[in-house]
Order: sequence, then C-alpha cells, then structure tokens
Amino acid sequence: MLIEQLINGITLGSIYAIVALGFTLVFGVLGIINMAHGEIFMFGAFIGVVVTSTFKGPLWLAFLAAVAVTAAMGYLLERFALRPLRNKQGVSHLAPLISTIGVSILLENLSHHIFGPGNHPFRASFAEISFQIGSITVYLVQIVIFVISVLLMYALSFWLGKTKAGKALRATAENLETASLLGVDVKRTITMTVIIASAMGGIAGILVGMAFNSVTPQMGLSIGLKGLAIIILGGMGNVKGAMAGGLILGLAETFVVVYGDSGYKDAIAFAAIIIILLIRPQGLFGQKISA
Amino acid sequence: MLAELINPYYLQVASFILINIILGVSIYITLSTGQLSLANAGFMGIGAYTSALLTLNFDLPIIVGIMAGTLLAGVFGILIGIPTLRLQGVYLAIVTLGFGEVIRVIFVNWESMTKGAVGLSGIPHMGRELLNTVKDLGFDPKVLGLQNNQFVFLAIFLILLAVTVSIIAFFRRQNRSRVGRAFAAIKLDEKAAESMGINITYYKVLAFAQGAMVAGFAGALFAHVLAYISPADFAYHRAVEILIFAVFGGSEVIWGPVFGALFLTVMPEVLRFISEYRYMIYGLIIIIMMAVRPQGLIDVNILNWVKLKTSKRRQKHGTSSQKSM
Repeated sequence: MLIEQLINGITLGSIYAIVALGFTLVFGVLGIINMAHGEIFMFGAFIGVVVTSTFKGPLWLAFLAAVAVTAAMGYLLERFALRPLRNKQGVSHLAPLISTIGVSILLENLSHHIFGPGNHPFRASFAEISFQIGSITVYLVQIVIFVISVLLMYALSFWLGKTKAGKALRATAENLETASLLGVDVKRTITMTVIIASAMGGIAGILVGMAFNSVTPQMGLSIGLKGLAIIILGGMGNVKGAMAGGLILGLAETFVVVYGDSGYKDAIAFAAIIIILLIRPQGLFGQKISA
Repeated sequence: MLAELINPYYLQVASFILINIILGVSIYITLSTGQLSLANAGFMGIGAYTSALLTLNFDLPIIVGIMAGTLLAGVFGILIGIPTLRLQGVYLAIVTLGFGEVIRVIFVNWESMTKGAVGLSGIPHMGRELLNTVKDLGFDPKVLGLQNNQFVFLAIFLILLAVTVSIIAFFRRQNRSRVGRAFAAIKLDEKAAESMGINITYYKVLAFAQGAMVAGFAGALFAHVLAYISPADFAYHRAVEILIFAVFGGSEVIWGPVFGALFLTVMPEVLRFISEYRYMIYGLIIIIMMAVRPQGLIDVNILNWVKLKTSKRRQKHGTSSQKSM
C-alpha cells in the first residue's frame, strides 16, 4: 500500500516536474513567467486524444503531433505575445506576465470551442498493462512516464551544460546585451527556448492524458498553477530544483489524498509557495534572488 | 410615465456595471503603487461569503454584513500584504494568484459552512429587504407609480450609484493628497521614494489593504444583489476579468479601470453573439493592448486632451476670442 502510493506519487511528481521544466527554462532565459504554459500543455494532451481516439493513430504519432503543434504554439506565443514587448521603452516588467495571461485565457476558451467542454478519455492500448511484483501493482505507464521525465531532464541538463546552443542560451540568460555583443543570435536563442519549453509542455500533456485517462480544457490552468508553485519551491530558473520540487509536490499530494482530506489536495501547492516565499524566498535549491 | 422608463433588465445590467467599476477601482489602487495583485477575486469572495453567511445565519442587517465583509477582506489584505512586500513584480503576482486559489479551494471544501461547490442561495436581497422596510414604514412604491420589482431594482441601482460615486470621489481626492503622492512616488522609483523619506512598507500595505477592502466591499454587494454566490464566482476567471478592466481601460488614472469596467460589461450585453466568445476576446484584448498600448486606452494625455476640449468649448461660448492652446 505504502509503496504503491509512493509509486503513484513519483509518477505524478515526474509529470509536474516536466511541466515545471518548461516554466523554468523560459524564466531562466527571459525572466518571464509564462502563464500560457499550462494551456499549451493542455493542447498537447488534446492533440494526443484526437490522434489516438478520433483518428485511431498509434501512440508515437500522437507524441510527434503533440510536439509539433505545441512547438508551433510556442513560436506563435513568442512572436506575437512576447517579442513585441521586448526592447520597448516604458513597458512595465509586468507586461509580459499580463500578456501571457491573455494568451492563457484565449487558449483555454479556444479549446472549449474546438474540443468541447467536459472530460475526454484517452484510449491508449497499453495503459492497462501492469506488473505484479510481490503484492504491488505497477502500471507500465507509470514506468514510461518516469523514464521519459528523467530522460528529458538529463537531456536538458546536457544540452544546457555541454552544447554550444546551450552555452549561448546560458549567456543570453546571464545578460542579453552582452551575449548579443559576443555574437550570440539572441533573437533565435529566445525563440528556440520558448519553442523547446512549449514542446516539453506538449509531451507532459500526453503523459498526463495516459496517466489519468482524462483531458479537460480546465486542466491547463490547474497544472499550470502547480508548475508555477514548483518552480518557486525548487528555485526559479533551476533545472534540478524543478525536478525535485515536482517530485516533492507529487508525493505530498498523493499522501494527502491517502492520509488526509482529498479536497485540499489542490491547496497544498499554494500553501507551500506562500510558506516557502516567507522562509526561503530563493527556493529550496536556489542560490540567491536577484530581485 | 416613469414606470415605463424603468426596465428591471437595464437596471440589473447597470448594477453589475457599477459593481465591476468598484472592482476595477480595487485593482487600480494596488497598481498605483506599482504592485500587481491578482488576489482581488479572492478578497471579493471573502467579502461576499462573510456578508452572506452573517446575514443568513445570524439574521444581521445587510449593512452590518457588508461592513463585516469589507473589514475582514481588509484584515486579510494586511495579513497577505505584510509578508508579500518582500516580493516584487512577478513573485507578488504569483503569490496573490495562489492566495486566490487557496481561498477558492477552502470555499469548495468547507462544506458545513459554505455548502461547497453548490454555493449559497437565498441570501437576503438588498432591494427586497429595502422594499419590506419601506412598506413597514407605511410607504407604498405605487405612490411613485412603480411596480414592486421596479422599485427593487431602482433602489439597488441608486444605492450602488451613490456608493460607486463616493468611492471614486474618495480615491480621486486621495490621489491628490500626501498618500496619493507617496503611491505615485513608489510606483515611479521605490529606492528614490525611500530616500525621500517615504515609508514604503506603510504605504504599500496601505494600498494593498485598501484594494482588498474595496474588493471585499464589491463582493459583499455582489452577494446581496445577486442573492446567490458560489466559489466559481471568485475563481481565476474573475481575477483575470478584474485585471482586464485595468489593462484595457488603463491604470494610470482612475478613469481607466472605470471606463474598462463600463465598456467590457456593456459589450457582451449589447452584442449578444459576442458573449459566447467573451473570454477569447478578453484574451485577445490583453495581448493586443500589451503590444500596442501597454498603458491602456485612457492615460494622462487623453485625459488632458479631453479636459482641453471641454474647457475650449466653454471658452468659445464665453469670450469667443482665444485661439491659442
């Protein structure tokens, strides 16, 4: 029982972590909270539903389609909601935040109209496959989710730390002007960051669809807000912090459902950020805040 | 004669416009110190639930309930405001957003008190209570040639109008006082303001608490005008709706959010086919406004221009000579 709950918690936590990685990437480079990330994630999940249920396509195609669509959405987001605000005189630092809130509300209601409200089941053939280890039941989906999220985090760390594009990205995050003086194509780097973050959101969307077998237009908001809570918990712009924060939140929520009051599951994330911001504003794994 | 002119439907819409204007003012107050608070929907919920529960369970008069709701929202504003002042910009926005969600989750789950997601119904209705009081005093609305329900909606509208006008007048006055100048200084440059001897913490908490109280007040009015509230009324969508009043209308001058609330409440009523796409249009408006005119439609320049136009006209009628600026 305990171990099963632990596995459930880790599965949930891995998904949260991937969502949080998308937030943390954009925040780390641009210093922007992308409020539309949750909705892009939700679109990824819907693309998965459409491909597997409506067109009866295979799962790998669903992944490809979701990544393609969410990456395109990331490009549009950067092009129309973020780029016009950059380098503009007299724009408040809150403007990008407000602009992405606009995108989030637009996308949520757009999906209401396209896909319809209510719950859409996700039919993946291998969602039911499970193993019996002793008295514990483990679903294949759970393992897949965990493996994909660890792989994603590893790939992201490698890419940021070891490749040239990653170096350019870190330089841009450090200082935009200096990086562009040193020959980094800042515009391209930023666009790429938003696209990659969005595509990761799309992957997370499909994983959530598989894990919970339900996709609704409102899921973007709730998961998006939790992703925000996680990056505050783990430290803003910190990749490993996002991963750890996601796991902590996933486990905490699972255990509250099991041993406490399930109704308050959704409040944990926010109670946690309010406390963490009061005690340790730089987050659990953050270095320090440059306010 | 009077009776035909008073259409309860128009009065109802007008009442919602006035409540939304009050909400727009509430976000304007915190924005005037440069803080973005997304907790106003939560404060509104606190005000609404406090007043509704007090009047439902303890039979208190509505006015006492509204005052209690306003004060409690203000207390929460101070409680949230003091610790969050360490945070700036986006952090504050996220924490306040989180606070709103926590409030909503509590409303949904505290079923013994709030009836959960179903919401509270049968809340004493401001207009009907007033009608009963008036009738007890021996006055019949028929004397004025009004039906009962016309009287009810007219009374609500007039009360809200008076309240809204006095709130706007109060904050316009405050803007020209020591407090308003301190707010403006903090918005422009916190460090500079501090070195000029302005107590930043005090004024920021003041602005936060004022915003919370005004939002709570609007929430309490909302509860007694609609007679029904549920947690969904105070969720993320409400927070965004309040935000867009300020984004669309502008947050530099108080007339900005007032205009934003007026326009954006009237629009879906007048253009019925739009109301289905309302939030999509809201989203588009936010994106476009941020890219094209981040200060909102109404800013100081527009206001000066309007003033100039009206004063010019007056001058023309008066002396009819001056042609210069």
